[in-house]
Amino acid sequence: MPVPRTNERSGTLIESHRGYDPRLWVFYGFVILLLGALASGLFYQQLLRTGIHLERETVQSQRRVVIPGPRGNLYDRDGRLLVGNRARFAVTLHLDELRTEFRHEFLRIRRNYREADDQNIPSAPELERIARISVVEGYLGRINRILGTQFQVNTETLERHYRQQRILPYLLLDDLQPAHYARLLEQLPVTSPLQLYTSSLRDYPHTSLAAHTLGYVAADDDVEVDETLPGSELRTFKMRGTVGRQGLEAALDPRLQGQSGGAIYRVNPAGYRLLPPLEQRRPVQGADVVTSLDLDLQLAAERTMTEMGLAGAAVALDVATGEVLVLASKPDYDLNSFTPRLTTAVNADIQARGAWMNRATQGLYPPGSTFKVLTSIAGLRSGHLHPDSSVECTGTYPVGGRVFVCNNHRDRGTITFPMALEKSCNTFFYDFGLKTGIDSLAAEARRFGLDRPTGIELPYEATRMFVPDPAWKLARRNESWFSGDTANVSIGQGDLALTPLQMACFIASFARNETLTHPTLLHDPDRPRQHSPATDLPLAGRAAMLAGMEAVTTTGTGRILQTDRFRVPGLRIAGKTGTAQKRTPAGTLNFAWFIGFAPIENPRIAIAIMMEGDTPGEDTGGGRYAAPVAGAIFKAWAAKTGRFTPPPPAAPSP
Amino acid sequence: MPRRFDQARPFFTLGLVLLVWLILPGVLKRFARLSFYELKAPVDLAASYVGDLQDFWSQKTRTNNELIVAARDLAAVNASYEFRMRDDARLRTEISRLEELLRLPSYGEFRSEPARVVRRDFNAWWQRIIVRKGSNHGILVGSPVVYSGGLAGRVVEVHATTSVVELISSPGLRLAAVFDGDDRPVSFQGGVNPPLRPAQGVLEFVPLDLFATSAAPRSLVTSGLGGIFPPGLIVGQVVQLEPSTDGLFKTGRVLIDERLGRITEVTVLVPIDPSVVNAPGEAAP
Repeated sequence: MPVPRTNERSGTLIESHRGYDPRLWVFYGFVILLLGALASGLFYQQLLRTGIHLERETVQSQRRVVIPGPRGNLYDRDGRLLVGNRARFAVTLHLDELRTEFRHEFLRIRRNYREADDQNIPSAPELERIARISVVEGYLGRINRILGTQFQVNTETLERHYRQQRILPYLLLDDLQPAHYARLLEQLPVTSPLQLYTSSLRDYPHTSLAAHTLGYVAADDDVEVDETLPGSELRTFKMRGTVGRQGLEAALDPRLQGQSGGAIYRVNPAGYRLLPPLEQRRPVQGADVVTSLDLDLQLAAERTMTEMGLAGAAVALDVATGEVLVLASKPDYDLNSFTPRLTTAVNADIQARGAWMNRATQGLYPPGSTFKVLTSIAGLRSGHLHPDSSVECTGTYPVGGRVFVCNNHRDRGTITFPMALEKSCNTFFYDFGLKTGIDSLAAEARRFGLDRPTGIELPYEATRMFVPDPAWKLARRNESWFSGDTANVSIGQGDLALTPLQMACFIASFARNETLTHPTLLHDPDRPRQHSPATDLPLAGRAAMLAGMEAVTTTGTGRILQTDRFRVPGLRIAGKTGTAQKRTPAGTLNFAWFIGFAPIENPRIAIAIMMEGDTPGEDTGGGRYAAPVAGAIFKAWAAKTGRFTPPPPAAPSP
Repeated sequence: MPRRFDQARPFFTLGLVLLVWLILPGVLKRFARLSFYELKAPVDLAASYVGDLQDFWSQKTRTNNELIVAARDLAAVNASYEFRMRDDARLRTEISRLEELLRLPSYGEFRSEPARVVRRDFNAWWQRIIVRKGSNHGILVGSPVVYSGGLAGRVVEVHATTSVVELISSPGLRLAAVFDGDDRPVSFQGGVNPPLRPAQGVLEFVPLDLFATSAAPRSLVTSGLGGIFPPGLIVGQVVQLEPSTDGLFKTGRVLIDERLGRITEVTVLVPIDPSVVNAPGEAAP
């Protein structure tokens, strides 16, 4: 207990303590310990954990905005633009520059309520929302006055943007007309929060041309961020990009995608960005791709297909390299309708027309009489068929208990091998197909790769094509193989199912006297000639086949190629038409086929055409519906390639 | 009063004035600024007139022979201008006829108001000029201003007897231009130009199929699409174009006529319909 005593100087009573109480040392020690703990904590936090705090501060106060790079262009083999980008002009509003205006508007509205003595004054957050809409409406009104328009603010998107993406500019008006863009460019002050913004929109100058091959893009809210872009640890906001969804746009997406750019901003506690950005990098356009397509040939093919008014597919290949010159599928769709987004109505229309499917790579069809080329090869190689083989065609051919009919049930008389190809005589191929046997036929089809996808760059290529044989039938249907099945396969009917692209590869391989062709949609001017195992056909056999196939295009089922519209003087074309039947719930539909190549003496282009009949029971012949499309392609190709030496005139008869 | 406080009194007064200025309402500040400007304007005008007088007396020192030669040259120039004016009138009539024939909308009509340049405004890094005409002469904010080299700029402030013109070399001026012979609008904006050097501008959103180099420059003219500037006024020469990284457009550099740097006489194109011009800086609702 301290003892009160009298101060000698003042004479007042003060409380005094006895100094140097040993117990105080304990207290001092305790205080020193605490201070030491504080100092060491400070040392630890400020010096040893500097990096961690700095990182946390950075993450908390900085934001990264990612801007996707424009996609690369697609060109045809001659460098003509097939797919590009077009600029989309928009007006954006930087909400973060309007903080003061939002506050002033908030105060003004609140004052008005109070002055009006309105008891139903909204809550502060609601007032803030009203103030924001009011300010943005004011800016839009300014634009409306300049443009003479009456656009209105979408309050829902504005609020959503304010809550979720405040750091990004708010898209006030999109897809401006050039005239509107020019007016705003001149009349909006440079320093206005309203800014003209440009972004790229995919542009297809030829609208629906090669629609399935080129493909389309869709909006992508989660664009891939370039790894070299700094700020990966920061909270990132991404501007909307695009991603390939179909065709080459999807297959080549990694190459076409641009390098994303962006900026890192410091933000205040309310999330508003502070200018200027700490770091900034401009996006870079993706790589351009030169496709193997030939614009002129593609146009010629699609124009003629449209004239036919049927669904179908057309494929043309460069025989030497396998580069795809034409890849068309009808019906198709306008690729520009996919940008900026596909509407429900357009989607429904495409669905109703059955235009989504790429019939060239996804459609599986019986090849019909075009398969007789393969039957011929199998027969020649097996030794059952010879160049001078012949059959007496009576119009019907009994197989087992069934009677198979020849074309049009006509009695053709003696049919030689070249004639059988020229007239597409079923009887001839029933006979030699049966002699050759299903095993040889199936093996030959597999040797030409007809039982597997071609491996073209396009996505979703059909994989369920097959060449039937006894083992397959037993496994699939638990049924025995009959001679009738072999007869059907001999003429490309039955369970055979192939894509037009496969048939194009097949005829290109045959043109090179080889067995496999790997198609590609990428153009390389230095691409070497493809090589694959030879057909091993006897020379005389191949010559007979070529003679028969040439006759198809001159006097046979494909003689439409000699009409004025399609005839190319001097160009010798080997071809084969076909008309396949397929039973559907609505009835039997015909599929018109044509496969061929030219010139015969030095094959350079191979073509496969398939046109779907749309009316059950209607005769949709290959010579009438498919050969004209091939003729248009041959003619366009010949126009680009140059003149052909006409065959020497026939010697005068004595 | 202690001597030390007396010594500090000017600083104290200055601080007090600054404090009062800071807390003064914005309206009063603006009024004070404008009043000061109008008060000061006669001094600028007087200086400008004195300059003119000085030029006059310097001309008086020339010999009669020199004046005769100058007058002869001037007569020749006038004759050529008269010929051009007749040609222009003929072309204008033809354009009107064609516009009527094609039912094209005619561009806004303008009234010419020649004005002498008082001085360059160093407050704006010499990118603005003050001209000797103002609201007393019917000048409107936003009016285009031309000179012998083409487009000079745009009126941004109008006072009673003077106006402030933002030059096209200023980064604060942007317009929709076109390449001569092309009809696609591109964005022209003044560059960051150091004083006493040839002025340059920046081009953006140039279509990829347009080309220009310093060896083969292309003329850039106003498009008339923006609603402020009439079409066909020369902006400058495009001397460089290069693809932007986004691959959508080209960006470029525009050389502005050197005469803009020593501009002494301009013509303000005052729209007959005042609604066709919009005051810059009016973005806020």
